[in-house]
Amino acid sequence: MDTILDIRNISKSFFRKMALDNVSLTVQKGEILGIMGPNGAGKTTMIRIINRIVAADSGSVRFDGDIMTDRDLFHIGYLPEERGLYRSMTVEKHALFLARLRGLSKVDAQTKINYWFDRFEIDPWRKKRIEELSKGMAQKVQFICTVLHEPKLLILDEPFSGFDPVNVELIKQELIEMKAKGKTIMLSTHNMKSVEEICDRAVLISDSRKIAEGSVSELRDAQKTGHYSIRFKGNMISFVNALWTGFELVDKRTLGDDRYEVVLAMRGESTFDDLLSVLIGQVKIEAAWESLPSMQDVFIELVQPANTSKA
Amino acid sequence: MKKTWMIAMREFKERISARSFILFSVLGPLLVLGLVYMLFALGGQTKQHWKVLVADHQGLFDSKIMAGEDAAITYYFANGIIELDEFKDGKKYQEYDAMLEVNGKVLTNKTGFLFYRNKPSMRMQTRIQYQYERRLEEILVVQLTEMSLKKFRSVKQPIGVTFSDVNDPEGQANDMTGWAGFFFGALIFLFIFLFGMTILRSVSREKSNRIVEVLLASVTPNQLMLGKIIGIGFAAFLQFVIWIAVIGLGLYLMREHLFPDVLDAANMNVKQLILDANDVSYQEKYFAAREYNEFVNLVYDRIQFANTIGFFFLFFVAGYFFYGAIFAAIGATMGSESDGQQFVIPIVILLCLSLYAGYFTMNSPDSGMSTLLHYLPFTSPVVVMVKLYQGYEPGHMYEIYLSLIILILSAFGVMAIASRLYRNGILQFGHRVRLKHIFKWMKRS
Repeated sequence: MDTILDIRNISKSFFRKMALDNVSLTVQKGEILGIMGPNGAGKTTMIRIINRIVAADSGSVRFDGDIMTDRDLFHIGYLPEERGLYRSMTVEKHALFLARLRGLSKVDAQTKINYWFDRFEIDPWRKKRIEELSKGMAQKVQFICTVLHEPKLLILDEPFSGFDPVNVELIKQELIEMKAKGKTIMLSTHNMKSVEEICDRAVLISDSRKIAEGSVSELRDAQKTGHYSIRFKGNMISFVNALWTGFELVDKRTLGDDRYEVVLAMRGESTFDDLLSVLIGQVKIEAAWESLPSMQDVFIELVQPANTSKA
Repeated sequence: MKKTWMIAMREFKERISARSFILFSVLGPLLVLGLVYMLFALGGQTKQHWKVLVADHQGLFDSKIMAGEDAAITYYFANGIIELDEFKDGKKYQEYDAMLEVNGKVLTNKTGFLFYRNKPSMRMQTRIQYQYERRLEEILVVQLTEMSLKKFRSVKQPIGVTFSDVNDPEGQANDMTGWAGFFFGALIFLFIFLFGMTILRSVSREKSNRIVEVLLASVTPNQLMLGKIIGIGFAAFLQFVIWIAVIGLGLYLMREHLFPDVLDAANMNVKQLILDANDVSYQEKYFAAREYNEFVNLVYDRIQFANTIGFFFLFFVAGYFFYGAIFAAIGATMGSESDGQQFVIPIVILLCLSLYAGYFTMNSPDSGMSTLLHYLPFTSPVVVMVKLYQGYEPGHMYEIYLSLIILILSAFGVMAIASRLYRNGILQFGHRVRLKHIFKWMKRS
């Protein structure tokens, strides 16, 4: 896979506060990369550096193999976390203005506007002023303005914050579709569920430094605890008796009608296969799987020590 | 440049479609025309006729004041003592506009009293005072000298001293034209201030509604700032052109339809006026002319619109960029929209200082301070306008170009500093602006 964005050793400080400390990362063409991190970790600063809104104190950013210039901004779509619109402009004029700033010709911009307005079903609002729109409508307009010039790389800072669930779903589907078309997407978010759902890889930034990077499954694997989950139907006492000394019951949940879901830890040399062979015949196993930490767990697990060590 | 232009055009369109722009375009010039109309109309009113009752209980004046008739004043004589309340409320006195009290003391204390119902114009005051004084002279001449009145008149000649500039003996430029310069300078500052505030509000609004970050992903802060200043500048200029057109049309219509007689050339000619009125003093002529005709004359004939419009335009533009950049920088450094108000105060003071500088220059055009203010970019647009209308000495026109170059260079300097502040401040939200930050932002490239 080719690299579209290569960030090397970027540092940035504001007055005396370090916002980014020697951060490097790469974004591969066609992937969806999630940037995670607590508030104030430096995500937005990094995104602003990529968008050339602020300059890094040191380090370099390469786009498509070359040192990035203003010209490359034509190939980037950026939806900032704090996003706004000119309230007195009409939807169409606003979209046209931003598309033209992104380098589209008037004719091209108009064609794209027609396509996207149609796709997001906002054609009837075309002549409405932004101030007349509901928040959800305005959010759709903001998203359209970001993708209108069909950028190679889409950078979204907290794209789901403030969106209603219907729009969140719409945007997610749109992102997946864009990825299928070969576009690259970089999104910073607190919404861990969406990282699990749509991101291929994730980078975790905390306290101005990159503390983890990898595919979502790698990150989850790295934090796994060796616990397994089993959903079964049967008698709980016979289940516990069967466990004997090789396994430990970590958690249990009653689902009703003699159905339970339990989390188990292996002891000694015991394996998951051993567990299953012990249980077969004692209870009716409905499902069994290795318990992987959610991205939320990964996030908390990785960020907490970083914060604690600082304190 | 293309992006700057796009930003400018968006800003321009937004400004001119705003209700306030349309309102100000119509009401502003109408207000100016209204003022001019009032000044004309009030000037015309000084022609009214007054009836003055002379309360001369000692018969000092012998029931006469003037040898001939005065078209503007008719004197009536009462020989008894009239109390002030009596004159004020008495039915038979209501027809008189004023009571002139004459008593024997005037011969020693040289003080007369006139009680009016409505304040007389300066011209009327001068006229009455002059006629009173003249009658008193006649009495004193008879009482104290052997001279005949005719002899006395030939001795006492009123002398009018005309103060003229050696470089402008015809008196084309004088206080009145200085005022015209001041008016144009003030107009520049009115527009700079109004549209400067528009820049400030526009920048801080973009900040507070967060569109600025979307824009900055496509344009540089410099392009954004420059585009904004240019766009709003176009709107300011358009508004100015509308003002000039409406005021020009209004003045033309006034001349043709409302005041055709008072604006007649014969009435406007000060020298002619003086010749026509042999029986009035120089003082009166001076006041009369000053009060009325010169103003009319000034508006229609003396202001050299054609010669000064070019400089007006250049100083307007350069001054606008100079102050506009400051306003933009303030807008960008503000943490919230209300936060910037305190930073506007120094600019308002600067603008007031400029207006005062213009006034100061009008009064002492050749002082060292005026020369300094003439070159200082903060004050030069208004001071140059005043000086331009007062007239530069021959061979000194280079001063105006020097002042312009200083203003343009300063505008570039201020833009460079402002763009640093803009770049560093525009993405800082919700903070309290401190001078410490401003200095740091200024230093940072």
